[in-house]
Amino acid sequence: MKFDDKVPIYYQIKEYLYHQIVTGTLQPGEKLPSVRQLAIDVTANVNTVQRALTEMLSEEIIESQRGKGNFVTTDVEGIKQLHNKLVKEQLTLVYQQLHALNLSDDEILSEMKSYMESRDGQHE
Amino acid sequence: MSELLKIEKLNYSHSLKSILRDVDLTVDSGKIVGLLGENGAGKTTLMRLITGSAHGKGVITVAGASKIAERKSHVSFTEHLGGFSGGTKVGRIFDFYQAVYPDFNVARSNSLVDFLQIDKSLKLSAMSKGMKEKLIIALTLSRQADLYLLDEPFGGIDSMSRKKIINSILKWKPEDSTMIISDHYVTEIASILDEIIVVKDKTINCHKQADEIREDNDMGIEEFYESLYEGGDQDD
Repeated sequence: MKFDDKVPIYYQIKEYLYHQIVTGTLQPGEKLPSVRQLAIDVTANVNTVQRALTEMLSEEIIESQRGKGNFVTTDVEGIKQLHNKLVKEQLTLVYQQLHALNLSDDEILSEMKSYMESRDGQHE
Repeated sequence: MSELLKIEKLNYSHSLKSILRDVDLTVDSGKIVGLLGENGAGKTTLMRLITGSAHGKGVITVAGASKIAERKSHVSFTEHLGGFSGGTKVGRIFDFYQAVYPDFNVARSNSLVDFLQIDKSLKLSAMSKGMKEKLIIALTLSRQADLYLLDEPFGGIDSMSRKKIINSILKWKPEDSTMIISDHYVTEIASILDEIIVVKDKTINCHKQADEIREDNDMGIEEFYESLYEGGDQDD
């Protein structure tokens, strides 16, 4: 995994796993790899991975089963909320940046629309 | 998490020249620590003082042991394969380690040799820089120690070897043990570090959590490290 060295690593690991959960790469109820395996997968150390997991546990997106490891929550509603939260985070970012370029709300909408249309054109 | 390494009021001079002065340092167990500093800052010297192959004034305690003979048994440090001649076969070096160190773990050693693709039939003199560094990692981690010291393991090696070395650290470092890795270029290992220690102006200039640096200073580890040298006066 490629890290941004300016952002705390535990936070990036958390975001990476959340992304896998909301996109279904990690399914509800699926077992997560062991802490050490995750550390090797993303190239971080076990303490940092553990910190990311501890936050995910307290946010109830994963559950720990004693002696068995960590599992993605089966609470689909919770995953949906997480998905909404991630979408909102991205939208906030884009909105703030376009606003900083002096675009009004209407202009943001129309710019976004024409951007998506031009992308569609590229795909076909 | 408990205190694994404690250095108190350490001073070291060589040929009347002060190399390290008033070093105080505490490192907990279970950590991976980057030991940073310019070439000649005293990183290797500090490692040699910790193992007891150099002698300074002050107290160094590893896993509760401060006498050199006891301390040595807790520390795994392979200093540049200095004791072996170029004609020595790699397999012989492993045999030697197994004979000398009671904490040598044969199963782990074999896994490391496999993973790092070390050819035991080669002579030391026939090995490239990258192969030698892999050999040093394998030997160092073959021991079941409390403290592992790696002295610039990434100097002048290709990126594939570097990845393999980093992965073998993550895979085989015992969970409660601490590893100190010295380097003068931190970016390549920044993501695996818990904390960094900077040796500058003959002492420990800075000791910080890696994620704390990112969180508080909004900068990368390399950037932070470089910032310590900006506008500073040179000592010698």
